[in-house]
Amino acid sequence: MFFYGFMQRAFQASFLISLIAPVLGLFLILRRQSLMADTLSHVSLAGVALGMLLGTDPTWTNIIVVIGVAILLEYLRMIYRTYSEISVAMLMSGGMAVALVLLGLNEGGGSLNINQFLFGSIVTISQQQIWLLLALTLAIGILYIVFRKPMYILTFDEDTAFTAGLPIKRMSILFNVLTGVTIAVIMPIVGALLVSAIIVLPAAISMRLSKSFNGVILIGIGIAVIGMLSGLTASYQYGTPPGASITLIFIFIFGLTTAVKKLFSASQYERLTRRRNITGDTD
Amino acid sequence: MQYITVDDLAFHYEDEPVLENISFEVNSGDFVMLTGENGAAKTTLLRNILGLLKPSKGSVTLSRTNRWDEKLVVGYVPQQVSSFNAGFPSTVLELVQSGRYPRGRWFKKLDKEDKEHVRRSLESVGMWDMRHKKIGELSGGQKQRISIARVFATDPDLFVLDEPTTGMDSHSREEFYRLLKHNSQDHGKGILMVTHDHEELRQYANKHIELIRKEDSPWRCFSMDSCKEPSRHHSSSH
Repeated sequence: MFFYGFMQRAFQASFLISLIAPVLGLFLILRRQSLMADTLSHVSLAGVALGMLLGTDPTWTNIIVVIGVAILLEYLRMIYRTYSEISVAMLMSGGMAVALVLLGLNEGGGSLNINQFLFGSIVTISQQQIWLLLALTLAIGILYIVFRKPMYILTFDEDTAFTAGLPIKRMSILFNVLTGVTIAVIMPIVGALLVSAIIVLPAAISMRLSKSFNGVILIGIGIAVIGMLSGLTASYQYGTPPGASITLIFIFIFGLTTAVKKLFSASQYERLTRRRNITGDTD
Repeated sequence: MQYITVDDLAFHYEDEPVLENISFEVNSGDFVMLTGENGAAKTTLLRNILGLLKPSKGSVTLSRTNRWDEKLVVGYVPQQVSSFNAGFPSTVLELVQSGRYPRGRWFKKLDKEDKEHVRRSLESVGMWDMRHKKIGELSGGQKQRISIARVFATDPDLFVLDEPTTGMDSHSREEFYRLLKHNSQDHGKGILMVTHDHEELRQYANKHIELIRKEDSPWRCFSMDSCKEPSRHHSSSH
């Protein structure tokens, strides 16, 4: 399968996504914004539909629309501080509604294409998308290295971050914009319906396996690489949609790590109890 | 030097006044305790001072510089419930080290002196042995202690503490007050602390602000009578 150009590009894209997904995913989870990825992926469908209606490259209309909504999301999160999921609900349904209306205006001309964006397609990954993804990976990597400490404080507690003098509003907007652009770029590859799972699941699994912040990101990258590459291989072998295959593998890894962790804790508890019985230690 | 100046502050939630006629100062070297019954808007007052809320009337001025004309560093310990993100994937050491970041370490590696500060801060609250534990695995009292260790690691010019001793035993509380007193008296730090332990704290603090309910207001609105020196039942032991 590596002889095919489209598979080479698919593996390159998957590898790059594996590097950025756990970083964004961890911050999304800790900022209780896991559903934001879902919202932005629905909104990005509207961006694609707009591009198709205008007859331009949907990648760029998608990126512009998603950036606008990512900024709007931050303002709505500030307004509905206690019930921030309201903004998610509003924009998710709004994004889908706009996408459907725009597709309707397009008189069904793009129905074949929109399926590709809904479920993802590895055949259509272009070299331009790979370059875009590489630039994005480099940007996120550099920003993470430079802003790791401020982001750690911001994610732990926004009030403490504010009193420490951090520009929390600008940082939050920049983070939302980066997440939005990432979703807009990877959505055609893995599909709008599953893009958030691919961003959030590796970090969700690694959070259960590591005690430290950096550990979660490093293990998350390892899990993402395994899940993405094996999912892609399975997708090629069995002709299944790539996004769905990768998501199922992540869910399998999640189940496996949970079971192994439980077994490990149980055996550790048993060993400890046995040692106490032998030594008569009651500590 | 004045670190905090509150001038005729009033704060309203929607149209309902909760704080009125609040004026006081916290200077370098002051140890100020802020007391009041439950729901007396003590946290609201702190949040106004820190800029997290905007006063409806009057003003709050937080000095930009400390007494050495360097940028003023504020160390804030919020109330335990709101401050702890239980599932946060971090060790105790990582969290307390993050207290050093506002000391010009946002984009620099922590050096030997930073690490020494962190070690001493953790030791001062008896949590050095727990430094490799995940913060989510700690008890409520231990979480409170590492919040305190984190603020000591920052070594701020101004401490703003919101009921920091919740869940701490009386011995640890006394140690903590002694450490704060040492910081204000010997190092000129300013301290503003919301507390319910005012009987215990009397001998350490040099100012007492009590928020009392305004009887002439139809709302549950609080004000202060005056900023006074705390009456001391015992002589100061330090």
